[in-house]
Amino acid sequence: MTISIWRYSHLVLALVSSLFLLVAAVTGVILAVEPITYQTKGYAVHDLEDVPLGVAINALKQNYDEVLGLEVESSGFVKAQVLTMDLETLDIYIDPKTGGKLGEVEERPYIYTFATNLHRSLFLKSVGRFFVGLISLLLFIIVVTGLVLLAKRQGGFKKIFNKVQKDYFELRYHVILSRWFLIPIIILSITGVYLSAEKFDLLPDSIEVPQEMDVDHSAEVFADIQDVPFFKETTLDDVRQVEFPFSDDPEDYYRIALSDREIQVNQQTGAIVTSINYPFTVLASRLSLVLHTGEGNVLWSIILLLASASILFFMYSGFVMTLKRRKKGKVSIKMPNKDECEYIILVGSETGTTFDFAQRFYDGLSKTGKKVYLAELNKYTTYARATHMIICTATYGEGEPPTNARKFSTLFSNIKQPNTISYAVIGFGSLEYPDYCKFAIQIDALLQADSNFTPVMPLCKVDSANHETLANWVDQWGNRQGLKISLEHTYIKEVERVKIPFELTERTGLNVDDTFLLKFRPKQKITFTSGDLLAVFPDESGLVRQYSIAKINDEVLLSVKKHEMGRGSNYLYALEVGDVIEAAIDVNAHFHFPEKSAMAILIANGTGIAPFLGMLQHTRQKQIALFWGGRTRNSSLIYENFLNGIITTNEKISFMPCFSREDEKRYVQDLVREQQNVVLHTLTNDGTVMICGSLAMQHEVLDVLETILIENTTLTIEELQNKGLIKTDCY
Amino acid sequence: MKKLIKFIPAILLVGSLLTAFTTVDKQPVKCLIQLTNYSGEGAYIVVSIVNDKANYEETLYVIGKDSEWYSEITEWWKFYGKSRPNIDAISGETISGGERTLSVLQIPKDKIDNGYSIRFETSVEDKGYFADDIQFELTSENLKAKVEGKGFIRYVRMLPQ
Repeated sequence: MTISIWRYSHLVLALVSSLFLLVAAVTGVILAVEPITYQTKGYAVHDLEDVPLGVAINALKQNYDEVLGLEVESSGFVKAQVLTMDLETLDIYIDPKTGGKLGEVEERPYIYTFATNLHRSLFLKSVGRFFVGLISLLLFIIVVTGLVLLAKRQGGFKKIFNKVQKDYFELRYHVILSRWFLIPIIILSITGVYLSAEKFDLLPDSIEVPQEMDVDHSAEVFADIQDVPFFKETTLDDVRQVEFPFSDDPEDYYRIALSDREIQVNQQTGAIVTSINYPFTVLASRLSLVLHTGEGNVLWSIILLLASASILFFMYSGFVMTLKRRKKGKVSIKMPNKDECEYIILVGSETGTTFDFAQRFYDGLSKTGKKVYLAELNKYTTYARATHMIICTATYGEGEPPTNARKFSTLFSNIKQPNTISYAVIGFGSLEYPDYCKFAIQIDALLQADSNFTPVMPLCKVDSANHETLANWVDQWGNRQGLKISLEHTYIKEVERVKIPFELTERTGLNVDDTFLLKFRPKQKITFTSGDLLAVFPDESGLVRQYSIAKINDEVLLSVKKHEMGRGSNYLYALEVGDVIEAAIDVNAHFHFPEKSAMAILIANGTGIAPFLGMLQHTRQKQIALFWGGRTRNSSLIYENFLNGIITTNEKISFMPCFSREDEKRYVQDLVREQQNVVLHTLTNDGTVMICGSLAMQHEVLDVLETILIENTTLTIEELQNKGLIKTDCY
Repeated sequence: MKKLIKFIPAILLVGSLLTAFTTVDKQPVKCLIQLTNYSGEGAYIVVSIVNDKANYEETLYVIGKDSEWYSEITEWWKFYGKSRPNIDAISGETISGGERTLSVLQIPKDKIDNGYSIRFETSVEDKGYFADDIQFELTSENLKAKVEGKGFIRYVRMLPQ
C-alpha cells in the first residue's frame, strides 16, 4: 500500500498549497510573457563578442556630455545612463558601436510590477516572501511524489515515457503532461526556493575580499580609451555592467562587473586596481534568476510560460481525479465483518474478470447502504446475518473449479448456514469451450439441493464477461430486492500488447494425443524467457490465446494440443514453415525459473512440459527433477529430441515420466506422492516446485503436496506460494 | 457678461501656460552614493531638501521603485504620503550592500546658500531605518564635498555640473 502514501502526500501538499500555488502560477504565466515581449523590441546586439568595451565607451562619450553607466542585459540589449543637454539623466538603449540611441528605456508596465509583487511576496512583504518560498519547496516535493506515482503507474522509472494507458481526459493528460513539464517545474521550484532562501540570509555568508592588485605606476597613460589594452581586449559579451568614474581624477576608477568578477580599472592606464571574484552563491543566484524568469531567452520563457500554465491544469485535473476516486473508492475501503452482512458475494476466479465484476457489484450494492461481504469461494464459512448470497465463478478446463474455489464443494457440505438464504449464481465462461460454465452449473445444482437455499434468479451464464448481460442481470436482481444498483464500468485496464512478426521455422505433425510442436523465430529483437507466454491472435475479432513457451536458442517453442473446435490451436495447426504471424510476448514473471533456488521440481502433464524444456536448457548447476504425465509412451516421443541431449549430458537432471494408459497407469500426482522424499527435500531446502499443465492436474498435485506437507512439516501451501517456492501456470 | 464667459478659457489657458513656464532655475549636481557592505535586501534611499525647521520642502531623488515599502521611510512618508505626487521621473532602481549609484540631482538654485539642508534617508527591510543617514547644509562649498554616512551609506560625493 505504499502507493497510497505517495498519493496521499501528493494530494495533501497540493491541497495545502493550492491557493498560493494558484496565485503563483497565474502570475507566473503573466510574468513569463514579459521577457518574450521585451525581446521583440529588437534592440538586441548580436555581435557583442566583436565589440571591445573601449569602442562602446568612446562611442558613448562622443554622443553624450556625460555617461553615468552602461549595462549589457542578458537579453543582449545594451543600456546606457546618460546626461542630456538639459542635464537630465536619461536611460536609453544604444548601439554600442556607434553610441547611437535605439530607443528609450520605458517604465515597466504596471501589470508586470503588480504581478511580480504578488508572485514574490503576495503583497505581504517578508511574511509573504516566506510563504512563497515555502510553497516553492512544497511544489518541489509535490513534483517528486508525483514522479514516484508516475513511475509506479508506468511500471518503473525506465518506462516513464512508455505509452500511457487510455483513461478519462483529466487522468490521461495529468500523466502525459507531467512527463513533459516535470523538468521545467523542478527547475522553477528549486530556483524559486533558492531565490527565497537568499532573501532570508539562509545561504552561507560569503564575504568577498577585494584583491588589491600590484599597480604599475610607471604604466603608460593613454589619451584615447580605445587604445588602453584592457578596454581593447575586453569585449561586451563578457561585461555585465560598467559604472563610469565619478570624475576625471585618476583616483576615480571604472567599476566593471564582468561575468565572473568585479574589478576597478584605472581610467587612464587600464590597470586593474582591485578585483573581486564572485562567490559561488552569487553565481548560483544569478543562474537561478535567469532560469526562474527566463529573461534573455525567448524559447526558455515560452517553456516557463507553458510550465506555469500546466500547473494550473495539474491542479484542475488533480482535483477532478481526487473527486472521482473518492466517489468510486469510498466503499471499497472498509468491508464490514462477515457476521454483520446481509449480502454475501463469493467469487471463484483465476484471471480477474470474474473478480472484477464481483468487486464492481460489491461496490454498487454497498453504495445502496447495504452491508455486503465479499470473499473467495475457498473461504466459505457461516454468515450469521446473511439472507442473500451471490456466487460469481469461472470454470476451468473440463468443468474444473478455479484454484480459489477448489475447496468449496467440500466446505459447502460441511457447513450449515444459520439462516435461509436466497441465492443467485453467475457463471463466467466462453462459448468456445465445450464445458461452458460447467462449474457454475455444478454449484447451482449443489445449492438447489440444499433446503436452506432458495434461488431468486435462474443461473446466469455470461459469455466473455459481456457487459450488457452483466448489467442486465444486476438490474433484474436489484429490482427483486427493490434496489437500484449502478454498476461501474470495468476496473481492469486493457493490456496493450506490442505485436511483432514471428516466423515459423520448424513444426511437427500431430502425435497420438493430437499434440504438435511449433518453433518460431521473432523477426524483431525482443527479450523473453522460458515460462513467458506467447499471445496469438487467431482472427480479427480481438480474440487472444496464450501459450506457455520455452526459449530455445533465441527461438520460441510451443507445444499445442489441437482441439476440434479450438480457434487458437486450429489457427496454429494450419501454419506452414516460413509463414509469418503477428504475435506478442506476455511477460509472465511469476513463472520464470528461480535463479536463487539450488534445486527444483518441475511437474507437468501433456503440453505443459513446453516451458520446462527451455528451462532445462539454460540451467547447469541445479538439481532438477522433471515429473511428466502423459497418456502413452508414444505421447512422449515428440519431446525426445529436446530431452535426450540434456538428460544424458547433465546428471543433475532427472526425467521421470508416467503414463495414464500404459504401464502402471499412473498420473503425475501419483508420481509426486511416490517421490515425496525428493519433494520434501526440495521444499524444506528452499527449492522450488513449478507446476504447468491442466488445472485438474494442478489441483490434484496441490492436494497431494498439501497432504505431504501436513504429514511431515509445519509449512502450508499458501505460505510457499507467497514465498514463490510453489509456482503454478495452469489452464 | 457673455463676452466675459468667452474669455474664461483664454484666461485659464494663459494662466496655466504662465505657471508652467515659471520654472525655478536649477543646479544639476552629479551625486554618487556608496553603500556599506551590509547584507540583506536592497536599500530604499530618499534624498530631500528640508528647511531650517527640518520641514520637507522637496523630494530630489528616490531609490527604490516599489511603493509598498515607502511607508517604512517614516519621516519622509509623513510628508510624501499625504499628497503622493508623481515621483517616477526622479526614482531609480535599488542598490544593495557594497554597491553604489550615480545620479544627477536637480537642486533649485534659490535653496542653495539659503539655510536649507539636504537629507539622505535610508531604510532596509528588516535591518532598520535612518532618518538622517546624511544631512548637511546646502552651500556651494558643501556641494563639492565628500560626506560620510552614519547608516547604510558609506559616503556621498557630489559634483556640480
